Amino acid sequence: MSRSAASEGFAGHWQQRAPERRLLFWALVTITLGYTMLLGAGPKDGYLIRSIDLLPLIGLAAGYGAAHLLLVASGFRGDQVLLPATAFLCGAGVLAQYRMGVFIGEPLSMTGYAVMPAGALLMAAGAAMAKNGRYRLLARWPWGWALLSVALIGVLLVTGQRFRGGVYAVGFVTPTELLKLTVVLFAAAYIDLNAKALANWRGPIPFPRLRPLWPLIGFFVLLLGLLLLQRDLGMVVILAMALLSMLAAGTRRAGYLVYGGFAAAGAAYLGYRFFDHVQSRVETWLEPFRDPTGSSWQILQGFTGMYSGGLWGEGFSQARPRYTPIAESDFIYAVIAEELGFAGGVLLAAFFLLLLARLLLIAARARSAFGMLAASGVAAVFATQIFLNLGGVTKFVPLTGLTLPFVSHGGSSLLTAFASLGLALAISDGEPARKKKKRSASKRGTAATATARGAARR
Amino acid sequence: MDLLNALFQSAPWPTLRAGLHVAFMLAALYLLKQVFSLRAATALRHLAKPRSGFGVAFAGLVLLFAAMLAYQATWQLSGTSRPDFVAFMQLHDRRQFNPAHWIERGRLFDHTGELLAESRDFARGGETAVRRHYPYGPVFAHAVGYAHPRYGTAGMEAAANVSLNGGRPDSLAEWGELGRRLITRDKRPRGRDLTLTLDAALQQAAYRALGERAGAVVMLRPDDGAIRVLASTPAFDPNRLQAELFSGRDPRSRLLNRATHGLYPPGSVFKVVLAAQALDAGFSSRLDCPADGYTTSPRYRKIRDHEYYSARGAGRDWQGHGRIGLDRALIKSSNVFFAKLGVGYGHDAFGRTADRFLFNRTIALTASLSKAQVMRTGRIPRIAASDRYGLAQAAIGQGAVLATPAQMALIAAAVANGGVAPQPRLLVAEPPRPLARLMNADTASRLASMMRRVVSEGTGRVIETPGLAIAGKTGTAENPRGDAHSWFIGFAPAGRPTLAVAVLVEHAGYGSAAAAPIARDLLLLARERGLL
Repeated sequence: MSRSAASEGFAGHWQQRAPERRLLFWALVTITLGYTMLLGAGPKDGYLIRSIDLLPLIGLAAGYGAAHLLLVASGFRGDQVLLPATAFLCGAGVLAQYRMGVFIGEPLSMTGYAVMPAGALLMAAGAAMAKNGRYRLLARWPWGWALLSVALIGVLLVTGQRFRGGVYAVGFVTPTELLKLTVVLFAAAYIDLNAKALANWRGPIPFPRLRPLWPLIGFFVLLLGLLLLQRDLGMVVILAMALLSMLAAGTRRAGYLVYGGFAAAGAAYLGYRFFDHVQSRVETWLEPFRDPTGSSWQILQGFTGMYSGGLWGEGFSQARPRYTPIAESDFIYAVIAEELGFAGGVLLAAFFLLLLARLLLIAARARSAFGMLAASGVAAVFATQIFLNLGGVTKFVPLTGLTLPFVSHGGSSLLTAFASLGLALAISDGEPARKKKKRSASKRGTAATATARGAARR
Repeated sequence: MDLLNALFQSAPWPTLRAGLHVAFMLAALYLLKQVFSLRAATALRHLAKPRSGFGVAFAGLVLLFAAMLAYQATWQLSGTSRPDFVAFMQLHDRRQFNPAHWIERGRLFDHTGELLAESRDFARGGETAVRRHYPYGPVFAHAVGYAHPRYGTAGMEAAANVSLNGGRPDSLAEWGELGRRLITRDKRPRGRDLTLTLDAALQQAAYRALGERAGAVVMLRPDDGAIRVLASTPAFDPNRLQAELFSGRDPRSRLLNRATHGLYPPGSVFKVVLAAQALDAGFSSRLDCPADGYTTSPRYRKIRDHEYYSARGAGRDWQGHGRIGLDRALIKSSNVFFAKLGVGYGHDAFGRTADRFLFNRTIALTASLSKAQVMRTGRIPRIAASDRYGLAQAAIGQGAVLATPAQMALIAAAVANGGVAPQPRLLVAEPPRPLARLMNADTASRLASMMRRVVSEGTGRVIETPGLAIAGKTGTAENPRGDAHSWFIGFAPAGRPTLAVAVLVEHAGYGSAAAAPIARDLLLLARERGLL
């Protein structure tokens, strides 16, 4: 399984993943520094800290430590930066959420304490399970993923609650969050199968042939219709960006992005014309001072916090981010930019760019076309969601109400993000070596066939 | 835990906390540096050679994020250049440490350096806050205006809001200053000071002269447009704004800047406009002005001269002016003459004159600022061609014609300045420039000497002052709401005019009785102060 005798066994794996351990250690040190600063705010406000206040930090450290050990124990060879990068982002999330009172005062909520450690473990477990090329089993049933995607929206439409024209999940679980993974898997598998036909453009003005595209378009239109029923426009944008990026990556034709851009412009115009809440979002974006105490209140309060924070911020514990309404989910970036200033905002953006850089590197280097497509899709989903959240809070683009991956308080969205990264990690582990010892012959047979198929297509 | 709590409550904790803050940022940077130095070990070499295209995608993402952060900086770091945003924070933010509450707005000075507005700290419920202070109180209520967290901004405070709050840095030194403040966490942003063209002594004298009466005084330099006085009464005290002022039901309309926005029938001061129209057209003949008056149709009341009424009131008989020329008519302010003159030239000529004299406009007094403080000019609607009596009334400044004191001052300045109205200015820093030519140079000089004679021998002779050659025109404007408005426009010294003035006193009767003496007193004071 491993490349050399030196890295055989636990000791070898331990040695091999030293960079990850080092980065993880420093990420946790950084977060601990922030956490100490944070705890110091308690007594000033008349709140004496208790042992339980250390739990979020301990949980985070334990979860990530275990995730690292799991990767080492399974002999995982892949990416060593994603785990520490997400550890830092999750840590920043814990800091900001602690400030927003997510952990204080309420009866012990498992979602608050357990989601992040569990997510980190899920990511590592997923990577360990699907490593060594096994992730390609996921490409076997493209239409299974498509069916699952539709079913997920169906579940939400049936069980969800209608509120102001939208449909929202009851309680903790938002099934549609999983779409970010299932749709990427479907599209990766489908484009992998039909890459040649999709890349075959014709006409004086090059245009894709429609026949291989119809299934994709049909599926997307169906999703679009269902998502519009529940008014989840942010999800529509994310999925559209993922599909277009994967088409362009899989066929190496940038024209998909051009035509997709036209289609998006048209769709944006129609959305603006026919949806009241799109109109009000756009108006708030263009003229924030038309209704400063109403529709623009949240974004202006966010800016007010940021302006108070200035370049350096006052550090955790000085600022008053709770003045921004429901900041722990969509507006968490405003909290960080207030407490740590513009410098903190730049820092967070840098870590997100690091995350995206690693995902793109995995896509660029993936051995299989399916792996490349899936990693591209995951990267596109993350890039879109991060950009729409940060851009929305800073009024760079209209507000879409998406969470910030790893940093925002959340359940399903957080777990989906971890699962997606688990997939990317698995892809980064690479394929089994061609020449193998006679072990697990049946499994090797499947993998070899898949490799052969992939090779034939290339 | 007890140990931690004790630590957090101990004296050195604030210092320690600041240290932790720095350590946190440094550790995060160190983490990024470690990622960089471990790039070889984490390059995923065991996978395929990298495909092309993904680097371009990443570069695009970096650019996008950089653009977003740059935009974020325009709010987070240079938010003072967004006046709406600063106002929002000052009104709605409860964070004590928000610099928006601490902006030391720039001070406002008159042209001699007299302080007109500054920011002061004051105690509010155990905390300190910043409040605007106006040493002259109501004297500059409209011109300087106010900046109040609840009631917003008005006047110069509104127009110069961005600069006063610090503004957008537009020089290298100002960028440097912004950078220094951000890096050193200086929480007292300091705005830019502004120097106005106003003269505090003259303004105060004008305000006192108007006293309890409603009215307005505008005084400016004809050659460069610098406004020395922009007074309006009744005023309010910008140091003590009260909600009733803003209820919209104030019977005295104290918020209204009568100087720049008050619309009044100009009455006889409008005859200067008609005289300019006639002189420009080459008028040099005489018109018969019978004592019996003039009308366009027997159905309408006759327009008569004021001598007719005063003679009748005294039980005397008056013979009328007879055949007189333009100069005599202006000196005597003959209604009959100017009504005939206006009707004689007709509707089209009158409409063109209204345009040439800038009626129906707004004029910026602070053109260089992002939000201009403006004056409006009067209103002359189109008079129907069949309505000749309406034209006759308009020609003597009654009926459909309305004017603002600021515009009448501008017209007086144009006569004094060879026919060219200067761009009115409130900021010393703005370069002077001409606004528009209202009449020919020859017309202006002939009109100027006629106006001098108005004061030396005509309706304005009560203010004739030895040694100070005032030229002007009185006005007594009838209006439906009570006694006539008292007007005076003019300039001095007649030979080499350096100040033009317009005075309006509401419901104060003859122009020579109320408005003209105010103008004289102000011009005398100006001479005393070396401004004439």
